[in-house]
Order: sequence, then C-alpha cells, then structure tokens
Amino acid sequence: MQHFALTIIGRDRPGIVSQVTEILYQLGFNIADSSCSILGGQFSMILIISNPKFASADEFSDAFHPLEENNLSVFVRTLKPGGEERAELEGDLCMISVYGSDKPGIVYRVAKELGDRQINITDLNTKLVGKQDKPVYVMMIEAMLPEGTEIETVESWMNDLKQQLKVDISVRSLAVMEL
Amino acid sequence: MAVKEVLVYPDPRLKEMCAPVEEFDDSVSELLQDLVDTMVAAGHSVGVAAPQIGDLRRAVVVDVSKSKLGKKQENHGLMQMVNPEIIERQGAHVVREGCMSVPEYTGNVTRAEAIVVEYIDENREHQVVRTDGFEAVAIQHELDHLDGYLFLDRVSSLKTDLFRRK
Repeated sequence: MQHFALTIIGRDRPGIVSQVTEILYQLGFNIADSSCSILGGQFSMILIISNPKFASADEFSDAFHPLEENNLSVFVRTLKPGGEERAELEGDLCMISVYGSDKPGIVYRVAKELGDRQINITDLNTKLVGKQDKPVYVMMIEAMLPEGTEIETVESWMNDLKQQLKVDISVRSLAVMEL
Repeated sequence: MAVKEVLVYPDPRLKEMCAPVEEFDDSVSELLQDLVDTMVAAGHSVGVAAPQIGDLRRAVVVDVSKSKLGKKQENHGLMQMVNPEIIERQGAHVVREGCMSVPEYTGNVTRAEAIVVEYIDENREHQVVRTDGFEAVAIQHELDHLDGYLFLDRVSSLKTDLFRRK
C-alpha cells in the first residue's frame, strides 16, 4: 500500500489534532507512526499515513484545504516503496545531554561528531530556556551506538567540543530493560 | 519441565487480576518450573509472570544475574515468588522498559529505586527480601502483570517531557 508522510504546522490552539484526524478518518486513512509536539508557539504534527483507496497525493490533497483556511500549513510527501518501514538498528541506545549558554553551532558541532562516525541519531530535541538576557540552550540526543562503541569513547569525542563551545556535555547509556 | 508460549497483547489474560495461591500444591511447583523454563528459553529474559504463560495465579520468577544490566549489581540470582507483595518502596527513578508481551515498544516508566518484597519461595518458605536497582525494577514490572498492568499503563513521560519546564 502507498504510504505518505503528512506534516502539519500552525499556531498552537486546542482542537488541531481533532480537526486533522477527523479529515483523515472521514477519508479512511490509517495513521501508523506519528509524533506531535509544541515547538515555540507552533503545534507540529508528523504522521505516516496510508489508505488503500489512494495511490497518489493528488487524489486527496484537496481535503486538507479547510486546514489551510485555518492557518495550518500542510505538506504531503509520497513515500517510496518500503519507506514506511524502519530499518533494524543494531546496537545500544545512548543519551547525550548538551547544555550551556546559547551560541551558534551547538547542534551542528555535536551532530557532526556523530555523523562523521556514522552514528545514527534516533531522536533529537532542543530547547531555548533561561532568562532572555542569559539564554541557555539545552539539547538531548538519543543515538544508537554500534556494537563496540563505548560510552567512554563518545565522551572522548565530546571533550574538545566542551572546551570550544563552553558547554556541558554528558553521555550515558540508555539501557532498555527488556523484561 | 515445559517451555510455554509467551502471550502477547492483546491477549485478554494479560489484563486480568490474578488470584492468590491458596494452597501450595504440586501444581504450583510445576507452574514455577514452567516459568523458569520459559524465562530461560526466551534467551534468558530476566523475568516471567504467570499470566504471561496464561496461568492466572500470583506467581513470578525473576533472575537478573544473566543479563548485561543485572550482572553489574549485587542480586539474588533466581527468585521464584508465590503471592509476592511489595511492602516497602523507596525513591523513584525513570527507566526505559520493554516487555516480551508487548514486542517492539519501549517506554519510560517511573519505578521505586529500592523495594522490600515478601513472598513464598519454591521451598514454601516465607521470604522478605530487600533489593534495589535493576532487580527491583524487574520485580515491580513482573508483579504489575499479576494485577493486569502492563508497563504501557505506567509510562510516565514522552521523550519530549525531558524539556518541560517546571
């Protein structure tokens, strides 16, 4: 079945999820994975959807016009076959906390250390907190460490960055207790 | 000795309240053995509760000594528990849990850091054990099964909650 990625974003207010999902329900869509959250003052929704009736986005995109009229931006991405399936990731999850006075390059510099080593980031959140005159940047990264890559190794990659960016970085294993 | 199939949600037996064992007869010993065998057969998981193999009596087995996480801490090895009850809880921490009965999903659950658990062991002896860390988490998780709770009922935070301001 053809899958689509649906992204919706707009000024946060109560009722966005119900308005979006009512349309999906009326059209007969399945919602597989989804993640929705408030970023700044915006509510953002990302959903993987499918419907046996539709093979192309043109066939249903008009149904989202009422959302656009309510100041929500809607974007539909047509997935390639298999694009809805998450590849099996091997390794152990780790959590990296990065925080410090806000400055350019925090996300990029940390992500580069991981990306250059083919470490897969599975989740990333950033938030600007603190007082207006003393903004603090907080970033949490969940990443999959391939077998043989230890927490200490990741810490050693981050050591120089700590000095250069003057941020605090800690790494710990996010052991999943399989019970 | 019998390895049983581990039930997977939405099997309704996983949402049942289990009954206390009134009389510790041979069938209870057999149940404990089945739980141990099933736990070992499941790649030595760290615990199995009776309802996970379709038996609605209050019995669980826990053994964290073979797992990567449990090995690092002092633990009680194989614990076979009938009518277990947590009589004291201390502290709280968030752990990421997964469950054989809910494959392919993990969630952040708040559990007591240390517990005191009371139970009847495989030799029909009354035991009171204090434990903490991974073993305490495993016991809390398995005992939840006896009340029809899955860890899904205990998820305390979405990942993004890490950033919610107080």
